[in-house]
Amino acid sequence: MERAVPHAVPLGQVEVFQALQRLHMTIFSQSVSPCGKFLAAGNNYGQIAVFSLSAALSSEAKEESKKPVVTFQAHDGPVYCMVSTDRHLLSAGDGEVKAWLWAEILKKGCKELWRRQPPYRTSLEVPEINALLLVPKENSLILAGGDCQLHTMDLETGTFTRALRGHTDYIHCLALRERSPEVLSGGEDGTVRLWDLRSAQEVQTIEVYKHEECSRPHNGRWIGCLATDSDWMVCGGGPALTLWHLRSSTPTTVFPMRAPQKHVTFYQDLILSAGQGRCVNQWQLSGELKAQVPGSSPGLLSLSLNQQPAAPECKVLTAAGNSCRVDVFTNLGYRAFSLSF
Amino acid sequence: MSSESSKKRKPKVIRSDGAPSEGKRNRSDTEQEGKYYSEEAEVDLRDPGRDYELYKYTCQELQRLMAEIQDLKSRGGKDVAVEIEDRRIQSCVHFMTLKKLNRLAHIRLKKGRDQTHEAKQKVDAYHLQLQNLLYEVMHLQKEITKCLEFKSKHEEIDLVSLEEFYKEAPPDISKAEVTMGDPHQQTLARLDWELEQRKRLAEKYRECLSNKEKILKEIEVKKEYLSSLQPRLNSIMQASLPVQEYLFMPFDQAHKQYETARHLPPPLYVLFVQATAYGQACAHMKSSQPPRQDKTLSVAIEGSVDEAKALFKPPEDSQDDESDSDAEEEQTTKRRRPTLGVQLDDKRKEMLKRHPLSVMLDLKCKDDSVLHLTFYYLMNLNIMTVKAKVTTATELITPISAGDLLSPDSVLSCLYPGDHGKKTPNPANQYQFDKVGILTLRDYVLDLGHPYLWVQKLGGLHFPKEQPQHTVIADHSLSASHMETTMKLLKTRVQSRLALHKQFASLEHGIVPVTSDCQYLFPAKVVSRLVKWVTIAHEDYMELHFTKDIVEAGLAEDTNLYYMALVERGTAKLQAAVVLNPGYSSIPPIFQLCLNWKGEKTNSNDDNIRAMESEVNVCYKELCGPRPSHQLLTNQLQRLCVLLDVYLETESHDDSVEGPKEFPQEKMCLRLFRGPSRMKPFKYNHPQGFFSHR
Repeated sequence: MERAVPHAVPLGQVEVFQALQRLHMTIFSQSVSPCGKFLAAGNNYGQIAVFSLSAALSSEAKEESKKPVVTFQAHDGPVYCMVSTDRHLLSAGDGEVKAWLWAEILKKGCKELWRRQPPYRTSLEVPEINALLLVPKENSLILAGGDCQLHTMDLETGTFTRALRGHTDYIHCLALRERSPEVLSGGEDGTVRLWDLRSAQEVQTIEVYKHEECSRPHNGRWIGCLATDSDWMVCGGGPALTLWHLRSSTPTTVFPMRAPQKHVTFYQDLILSAGQGRCVNQWQLSGELKAQVPGSSPGLLSLSLNQQPAAPECKVLTAAGNSCRVDVFTNLGYRAFSLSF
Repeated sequence: MSSESSKKRKPKVIRSDGAPSEGKRNRSDTEQEGKYYSEEAEVDLRDPGRDYELYKYTCQELQRLMAEIQDLKSRGGKDVAVEIEDRRIQSCVHFMTLKKLNRLAHIRLKKGRDQTHEAKQKVDAYHLQLQNLLYEVMHLQKEITKCLEFKSKHEEIDLVSLEEFYKEAPPDISKAEVTMGDPHQQTLARLDWELEQRKRLAEKYRECLSNKEKILKEIEVKKEYLSSLQPRLNSIMQASLPVQEYLFMPFDQAHKQYETARHLPPPLYVLFVQATAYGQACAHMKSSQPPRQDKTLSVAIEGSVDEAKALFKPPEDSQDDESDSDAEEEQTTKRRRPTLGVQLDDKRKEMLKRHPLSVMLDLKCKDDSVLHLTFYYLMNLNIMTVKAKVTTATELITPISAGDLLSPDSVLSCLYPGDHGKKTPNPANQYQFDKVGILTLRDYVLDLGHPYLWVQKLGGLHFPKEQPQHTVIADHSLSASHMETTMKLLKTRVQSRLALHKQFASLEHGIVPVTSDCQYLFPAKVVSRLVKWVTIAHEDYMELHFTKDIVEAGLAEDTNLYYMALVERGTAKLQAAVVLNPGYSSIPPIFQLCLNWKGEKTNSNDDNIRAMESEVNVCYKELCGPRPSHQLLTNQLQRLCVLLDVYLETESHDDSVEGPKEFPQEKMCLRLFRGPSRMKPFKYNHPQGFFSHR
């Protein structure tokens, strides 16, 4: 008999190209729909894929239900960040923010509802948008990225109301303090800055790289991820992942993780973080590594916790990064399956 | 008594004398009779009864007289004598009376006889008449039955129907008013019409016959003319040969080829015809001038025609049938062979036998390199194979790493995706192989040539995967539909292989041969250098730790060619494992990188290495350069050098380490990092010469 070949279908030009594209795909952002049943994921080719979590999690799930329900070209460049309001999916990446109606997104040929571009000062290269943050209290959206500023956009009118300047390099991440109207931003310049939205003033600056406990010069200064809970803030990136007490601006816990972290979030009394490496890390606040759950991608860029009360059956953790797969963790201890582009 | 009889005689004589005359005159003259013989008339007048009384009386009288005489005599005396005398006289009278009565009796008898006779004669005549009449009746009856049984010929004639007859026949024949009521007349009229028509048809038939005769004669004449034409044409052909040669118009040669082509097996014939047609079409399209001698595609037939003739008495024999029966025959006839091995070996040889004729296809490319293709037909497997050879105009110095590029075994591999040419395309063959213990055709392709799928299609053979057919018939349209694409692919394949060949020669010496028309893709100053370009084995590639993704994606097939490149700049060493698909350059070479600089960096631990791979693998289209983009590999390698430069120069400087940066930033970059994964500015913007993010 003929020797078995590794795959059944011979690859032509188109198939090879598609295989290479999938191989070099990076999923930068995720967002769960307001109903909790769908998950949108944006990749480096500007595509957004919408997966049906409820179908993939149902008992009669097939291989097809782990494929996107719909995939569409949203941006020309990578889709770096996405958030969902109660009606819209907002996506941004290459300098523009676009809004899509969740209600219509599953239909074919879905067009964006609107698109906005913050007022940029440079013209040579359009700065990217790395982070979107919804401020529900004043119904606004904060955009931050390549031009080192935080732009506030009124979601009612669609106008850009404020620009918060202070960072000296581009901004990686944003976090909202829930009680007071304050926003944290972390950037390539190695600082975490606290902004008061009422006065539009910078309140506090933490230069993380200058603290010896967490500084790692060989990795650089950049702050890649940021999360906050009351007076606590956790940030990581070039410097080690560190828990900070905001009022005293002191690092309280340095988490022993060598690889730079790209996403961090508080979850109950745990801190979940992901970055270079296959695993989702779970930390106790005391700095102990509670668990490392391996995923399928060599590096993770985003975590998403589906906590929508509308769909308790779809309460999962999803992680995506340097592959075309979105790993789904039905409980924190183990990867159930992967959704795939 | 004697005296009585003598007395009686006398009247008899008298009567016999007079009797004949009496009879003649019987009716004509009764008066005369009365004169001569009253006696005959007297008979009629007398009553026979009374005569009988008279006769009795007379006899009594005589008896008494006799008795008285007797009495007288017995008494005797003289007076008695007188008395006796007296009595004698008296008795004499009585005798007279008796005589008379006798005669009368005779006459009466005669008369009675005559009457009887007469009546009898009358009865006889009547009887005869009756007989005649009866006979006549019988005859007439016979005639009547004969008439009744008479069959007319006209009943057998198939006449036209009545309506048709009244419609078509002229009125002087149909005579509708007469014939309508009278079926007899009608039939007669119809017969008349039939006769009329038949006469006309007979006339027509004669005409046609004469026409046919005429045409036959014409044909004869023309045939004669044609047969006289052949030798003349032959002589003209002979005479035109030098002219043909002079004008480069090898019509005669082509004719001879077609003659040979008749002995080709069907698939090779299809290939031959279609390839020739395609070659001619190309030659016509390329130039409006008459076909040149150096046309791009030339077709020829090789092999022994006589062998082919001997092999195929009826050339339409179904191949499958033949092979089946052959196999069976072998089993029966070769049983006496001693060893099973030899027997199997012979069977294998028989099964893999090629047709003695083969078709040669020479495909000429622009740079005068030629691809020689020889197509064979395996008779018993009903598949076609091809052997390829590339010759170039100028002698090539073969670089070590280019070993497989132009080898006959692999030059045509995967012309169409997945077409390795190592499996038999005919599903029926597997069963044949099982019979003689052939595991796979793979072991024989070096000898037989490769049975690529496109070869089968050029020969018009189609083997559907789903439903294997018993007989596969060579189909011209299938061949024609694949000819052009295949020829173009073949040409592209040869050219791209030759281009690769050239590039490899430079690459081995550490030179990345960027052509002038691709120069704009790269900055003027590239510091990283290619230092090594070697071929590696498929197994070695599979074992490399940084190629796992490619292997898992199924992109590392054993039909591909594998290379290892090493790019260096200072202490940084970038290994690049390259998969070269046989479909180069439409399918790009795939690079997997491993950088050794401050630790080992691959796509799994460094996003920028991943980005560099994606720059050469996914964004290869901007590196294709001018069509037909054979420079892709070179451009990709040069791009890799540029990428390494950018990677190294933009690496953020570790503040804690003393001393200057190893790689000072020389490239102009708008920003060093961008986005969540901190990409470096790998994109080169041509006229301005700066680097930006993609």
